[in-house]
Amino acid sequence: MYSTELLIQTLIAGVMIGVLYALMALGITFIYSIVRMINWAMGEFYMLGSYIQYVAVAYALGRNYWWLAILVSTAGTFLIGYLLEPLLIKPMHVRPMERRDDYATVVTIALLLMLRSLAVAIGGPYQYRPETNLPIMWVGPLPMEGARVMATVFALAALAVFYFVISKTWIGLALRAMAQNRVAAQTSGVDVFRFDAIAFAIGVALAGLAGALLAPLFLVYPTNGAVTTVKGFEIIVIGGLGSIPGALVGGVLLGVVESLGAAFISSPYQNAYGFALVLLILLIRPYGLFGERGREA
Amino acid sequence: MSVLATTGLTKRYGGLMANDGVAVALTQGEIRGLIGPNGAGKTTFVNLVTGIERPDAGEVMLNGSAITGFGPHRVAKNGLVRSFQVARVFGNLSVRENLLVPYFASERTSGRASALARITELLRLSTLEPLADHLAKSLSGGQRMLLQACAGFMIPGVKVHVLDEPFAGINPVVKDTLIELILNENQAGATFLIVSHEMEIIRRICPRVTVMIAGKVAAEGPLEEIARRDDVVTAYLGRSLQ
Repeated sequence: MYSTELLIQTLIAGVMIGVLYALMALGITFIYSIVRMINWAMGEFYMLGSYIQYVAVAYALGRNYWWLAILVSTAGTFLIGYLLEPLLIKPMHVRPMERRDDYATVVTIALLLMLRSLAVAIGGPYQYRPETNLPIMWVGPLPMEGARVMATVFALAALAVFYFVISKTWIGLALRAMAQNRVAAQTSGVDVFRFDAIAFAIGVALAGLAGALLAPLFLVYPTNGAVTTVKGFEIIVIGGLGSIPGALVGGVLLGVVESLGAAFISSPYQNAYGFALVLLILLIRPYGLFGERGREA
Repeated sequence: MSVLATTGLTKRYGGLMANDGVAVALTQGEIRGLIGPNGAGKTTFVNLVTGIERPDAGEVMLNGSAITGFGPHRVAKNGLVRSFQVARVFGNLSVRENLLVPYFASERTSGRASALARITELLRLSTLEPLADHLAKSLSGGQRMLLQACAGFMIPGVKVHVLDEPFAGINPVVKDTLIELILNENQAGATFLIVSHEMEIIRRICPRVTVMIAGKVAAEGPLEEIARRDDVVTAYLGRSLQ
């Protein structure tokens, strides 16, 4: 049944979840632009973020400090990424390899399996839900779960911080330079290996943040990152690999299309509407909304 | 003492000896030309010296300490910077940002003010001032060469600049600007090694040249002297003039 309220409610819900999807896509695109690899274990960093959130709330901080736990989860995944990158990814750049992409794919899929198994070994195959003290909130005329509203607020804040770091700081300038010409950055004196680790850490921290924010809604279990990762890659196809605006616009677009489909067509097929959108984009703009045709060698 | 010295620098690609025991020594403040026919191993030599590639044997000494096998960014931080035949600039950064990257990569304590003062000076000398806020990808080939050279001059404490074919394919006006930039830096104490096929420019600005032929140093000295040597002429022309 069509009604204006339902349409508005659906659009708002779509944008809200879309912003969180965009965090994942942004992480994937960002790591790809700088480190020149696809991180297939992105969902497992989402999963790590959600587990840290649960452990921090349940065993240390309590439900009133859920927001502090969010910061802890983000910082935690950042740190894990920062320590793992030199160990797993750096070898790909140190010695010129013939099949760089294959190396990155194998290593990150191995990491994916390892982290999932670790989650099962430590937490068991159970679902957890980190608590919050958030009440139902009113978004205009609409009642919404507090956790969902705050997830969007935090995600928007994170995007603002990300924008600030990338456009206004030295780290951002160095990362933008590296994304455009790695060798020139090196000969300019930029320690590209250290910035690889920073970029990887920022990328996975975005996933960890998404995991922590969505944990009260989508729960915490060993494979909870899988669906969100798929969304992340759907967004990459929609927006174009390597494009930051593409990740943001693609994320919101996917969220809105899924919500509209679920509300006005049939809700069990919610995940399928995204794929329909992906197919449509592939037909009309195979390189994505913001992607460039081909890329420099 | 020489500011940059290589001994026995050797690099093999399969069966090809690209560099075979190359020894070159630059004294503080000189502008040395490095010439030789295509395939003589000049670019390989530049790559070995600046850390882009690792030599199979031999040593690179900068100011008396070994920098052999250092990665490019460590070589740069130690005071040895290179430019590329095809200018490598950051296309989606502004001209000004292009110059900030090399500065901040090694010097972040003295802050933005001294960086900006230096940038203003270089932009004026290079005539790129009106383009300071344009994206580097909008520059012409020659302007990119100028920008690349300026980027090298932005790194504080650089002692030696290695320029690989800086004059290739750029118009005469830009060439003169680039030469002035180089001479200006040289006045300030920087040492240069310039790989080039432009004999006129080499004659003008390089008191001494090194000639490489088939991966080896074949001759060294003033260009006038070297140009009279039969082996050098033969290598360039395929036959002697006589």
